[in-house]
Amino acid sequence: MADHYDIAVVGAGPAGGNAALAAAQAGLRVALLDEQPTPGGQVWRDKSASILSAPVTPESRAGAALRKAIETSAVTPLSQIRVWDIRLRDDHWVLQAQRAATSQEITSKSLILATGAREYVQPFPGWTTPGVIGLAGATALFKQSLTLPGKRTVVSGTGPLVFYVASEIRRLGGEVAAVVTPNTRSQWARALPDMLGQPKLLARGALWVADLMLARVPILWGHAVAQVDGAEQVTALKVRNLRTGTDGPDIAADSLCIGHGLIPNIEAAQILGVAVRHDPSLGGWVPDAAPDGATAIKGLYLCGDGCGIRGATAAGLQGSLTGARAARDLGRDAPTSPLARWHKADRFGRAMTALSLPTPALEALTTRDTIICRCESLRCTDIIDEVATGAASTNAVKSGRRAGMGPCGGKYCQSAIATLIAAQTGKSLADVPPPTPRPPLRPVPLGQAAGAFEYDALPISKPAPL
Amino acid sequence: MIRLVPNQATQITRSEKVTFTFDGTPVTGHAGESLVAALMRAGYLALRNAPNDAAPRGAFCGMGLCQECTVMIDGQVVEACRTGITPGLTVERV
Amino acid sequence: MTHTPTYDIAIIGGGIMGCATALRVAEGGMSAIVLDKDDLGQGASGVNAGTLSLQIKRVKLMPYALRGHHLWEQMGDAVGFAKTGGYTLAFNAREAEMLQERQTLKAQAGAPIEFVSNNALRAAEPHLTQKVEAASFCPEDGYANSSLTGQYYRGRLRDAGIAYREGCKVTDIGHSAGFLLTTTTGQIRASRVLLAAGAWLKPLAALLDVDLPVNARVNTVSVTERIPTLMGSVIGHATGLLTMKQKANGTVLIGGGWQGLGTPQDGRGTVNADAVKPNLALAQYAVPALAKARVTRSWTGFEANVPDFYPLAGALPGVPDAYVLGCVRGGYTIGPYIGQLMGDFILGRDPELPLFDPGRDFTKDTT
Ligand SMILES: Cc1cc2nc3c(=O)[nH]c(=O)nc-3n(C[C@H](O)[C@@H](O)[C@H](O)COP(=O)(O)OP(=O)(O)OC[C@H]3O[C@@H](n4cnc5c(N)ncnc54)[C@H](O)[C@@H]3O)c2cc1C
Ligand SMILES: Cc1cc2nc3c(=O)[nH]c(=O)nc-3n(C[C@H](O)[C@H](O)[C@H](O)COP(=O)(O)OP(=O)(O)OC[C@H]3O[C@@H](n4cnc5c(N)ncnc54)[C@H](O)[C@@H]3O)c2cc1C
Ligand code: FES
Repeated sequence: MADHYDIAVVGAGPAGGNAALAAAQAGLRVALLDEQPTPGGQVWRDKSASILSAPVTPESRAGAALRKAIETSAVTPLSQIRVWDIRLRDDHWVLQAQRAATSQEITSKSLILATGAREYVQPFPGWTTPGVIGLAGATALFKQSLTLPGKRTVVSGTGPLVFYVASEIRRLGGEVAAVVTPNTRSQWARALPDMLGQPKLLARGALWVADLMLARVPILWGHAVAQVDGAEQVTALKVRNLRTGTDGPDIAADSLCIGHGLIPNIEAAQILGVAVRHDPSLGGWVPDAAPDGATAIKGLYLCGDGCGIRGATAAGLQGSLTGARAARDLGRDAPTSPLARWHKADRFGRAMTALSLPTPALEALTTRDTIICRCESLRCTDIIDEVATGAASTNAVKSGRRAGMGPCGGKYCQSAIATLIAAQTGKSLADVPPPTPRPPLRPVPLGQAAGAFEYDALPISKPAPL
Repeated sequence: MIRLVPNQATQITRSEKVTFTFDGTPVTGHAGESLVAALMRAGYLALRNAPNDAAPRGAFCGMGLCQECTVMIDGQVVEACRTGITPGLTVERV
Repeated sequence: MTHTPTYDIAIIGGGIMGCATALRVAEGGMSAIVLDKDDLGQGASGVNAGTLSLQIKRVKLMPYALRGHHLWEQMGDAVGFAKTGGYTLAFNAREAEMLQERQTLKAQAGAPIEFVSNNALRAAEPHLTQKVEAASFCPEDGYANSSLTGQYYRGRLRDAGIAYREGCKVTDIGHSAGFLLTTTTGQIRASRVLLAAGAWLKPLAALLDVDLPVNARVNTVSVTERIPTLMGSVIGHATGLLTMKQKANGTVLIGGGWQGLGTPQDGRGTVNADAVKPNLALAQYAVPALAKARVTRSWTGFEANVPDFYPLAGALPGVPDAYVLGCVRGGYTIGPYIGQLMGDFILGRDPELPLFDPGRDFTKDTT
């Protein structure tokens, strides 16, 4: 039997969590689904059971508050549930979900997608070497396991996350060999006016940088990691000055945390037919959704970083707005909040996203031999060659080379491939949309997708004409 | 030296150590922590070999999407970053 | 306005039907241009299951399928061709009876199909379920990689000096002396047109005031990640509701014509989990060890047909110099061959095998 709810929320981060709370407050039956063991999302990911006690951080405090609020609310949290397909059946949404070794169907009248973001890393030689992990990925490791990525780590990337990760490594007792950021100090200075609206976040960032400077950790502004050395794992890396193109001395390290901004997880919305548009200031391709989450599709709402990278504060605010909007659309009383705070958070978020965007100088680090599609071990030349034969879209390159046909489903190569196609064909990025999204949203064991069945009960139709 | 960000490593308490096997070799980690964290601490960064060029690969996204950390448990491919360790767990390379 | 060049033929639809015909007419000396609203080979021809199986072909299409198989073999590695042989399975007495009846007729039509014992089956495919009631085998069966259709024909067209335009949707067809096509990327003149628009044939023919009774099915295919070898040949089910093979790279492709959602007019169609589930269940029933293989992708494509389920291949009724080719059941297998026949017909030659009059009465089986 399927479990039926008024509203199903996919993603229990700040966006989905707050959306669920707002909808439940309006008296609706709300299911909050997430593949993580507990709510919190990426930014407020919970500690694993291995951590008995640990110092409080702003993230752990906010996460605990959200989890407490959900626990004491009428929301039904369904954790460790992976949603692999969503479909409108008659007038309700049907979610196919996998939980450990079982599968189940969840249905609801309305659907809120709060699927968050994933990381972008501009491919460069050696980025597939074990010991190279995403910046955001590193934060997951810190929050969940309070574990360091190595003994001596280089932290590199764009935007504010690079300083957060370096600071967390220091807090957890590790050594930061260097911070390498393609951003320049003047880029940060230009972003200052937009950041003043969020003084707490600004102050925290300033503290991270000051601490690194006091500890004499080299901060290489306007630089990028151009190459990672090491056969089985990271042993050293090369750093390049992006303005002059000159390489600095090798830095010895056993690990590298690197990231160049975030990309919204738009696949579920796309599969359900929400139109997408290219907006670099929101992280690339984003689905069309209003500040209160409404979309062109009845009963379908989007909120949080999954509909544009604006950060946790904006995600939480949009979540509340969305939950209330969905409740009103189902005939309940729910407050309409002013959008002023959301607009402020939106502005801050866009400024951070703009700082995080990969630049042409960064893209130039992708050499012809660099792996682009990790799943299929495809190199930059493979993609360029395919485009040279006339494949001018992400779908065509995918078909011709299997680029994006591996288990990650193109989540970690799509953007780089689109950039290469645009560069080769002279198209603008906005004219190179992502490939047609297809379920499952995550790889799912065939037996669980099939579910329990009796052979004789399978709907075997009559055979094709002879 | 003044630290604006204090070292808090000693203030963390963890669950008891348990032993599991990775590719037949015993590895210890804290009960309930993610397989990726335990393997990383034990020095296992390369978890699988990529198709086509057989190059070593390890955890990358940390959030269950990139599929670089996949390992085999009970004949089932799972993401090590989303799997908690339990005593006696048998983990194989894919 | 600049003078647009006039082609001997404009081929609307860059699937396997359009491209195969283009190659033939160009060989015969015609200047051709292939137009596709998307990319070449992103319609049915680029997303189908790639099964080249005589066991699932219609009896009357067998001569075409046999010749099609031959052409695929010649295309070889460039299209990921593999001749593995194929088994069709029956899991109960009713299916066994159906298998016996249907495969006997197909064998009589020229397909080298034989019935095999359980022991022979088990020896060849040790991972199959023990629950097989009856099985047939055809050594000619195999598969090709349909994803390569676009890449392959792009190369062939270029080598043959045939023009093509992608992202070029034909929105109007003017017809006086020759044809004037209005497209999303400008106008094109041609002395002849071939409508090869697959599941979009009906609206396209309507531009010439011809009503073709074309319907579309929304077929689904799924694929697993790379797994250790579980099967060596193409595995099918007596009803046709399962076709499955493990590619050289270890991925397992699962099809069988289960129906997704959407219409050709709306776009590419969407997967319906309610249909994927029994399709996967059938695959798991046939090869139980598949249960743990992770499915990485399911997708759909539109397969066109007319009420009698035979091809449209010939002159477009009532419009001189206009032709239509499509709605071929097993069209991936048969496409390269029937495209040649169509090309010959357009060149004014006698096709080796008869075509299928698009002006026929579709309510009865007259072919
Ligand atoms: C790994 C990572 C770490 C980050 N760390 C920080 C940080 O420390 N500080 C910061 O300011 N920003 C961080 N961010 C940025 C992040 O996007 C935040 O802005 C914030 O988490 C966004 O909130 P959200 O609710 O929109 O999405 P998220 O917090 O990302 O929540 C989305 C949730 O949806 C779940 N989900 C998605 N799809 C499915 C599915 N199919 N089935 C089941 N569950 C699903 C995910 O498990 C996730 O918990 C991080 C991003 C990433 C990717
Ligand atoms: C999922 C699926 C699985 C299948 N499995 C098999 C199999 O295993 N074995 C087998 O033999 N057969 C199989 N088939 C059947 C086979 O794929 C088709 O019969 C064959 O590919 C049809 O080719 P086509 O060229 O007629 O159509 P298509 O490949 O669909 O080509 C038509 C083209 O016309 C273009 N077009 C349409 N309208 C316009 C316009 N107005 N202007 C410009 N361009 C236009 C479209 O974009 C499209 O590219 C399967 C079909 C599907 C859908
Ligand atoms: S590290 Fe990416 S899925 Fe585990």
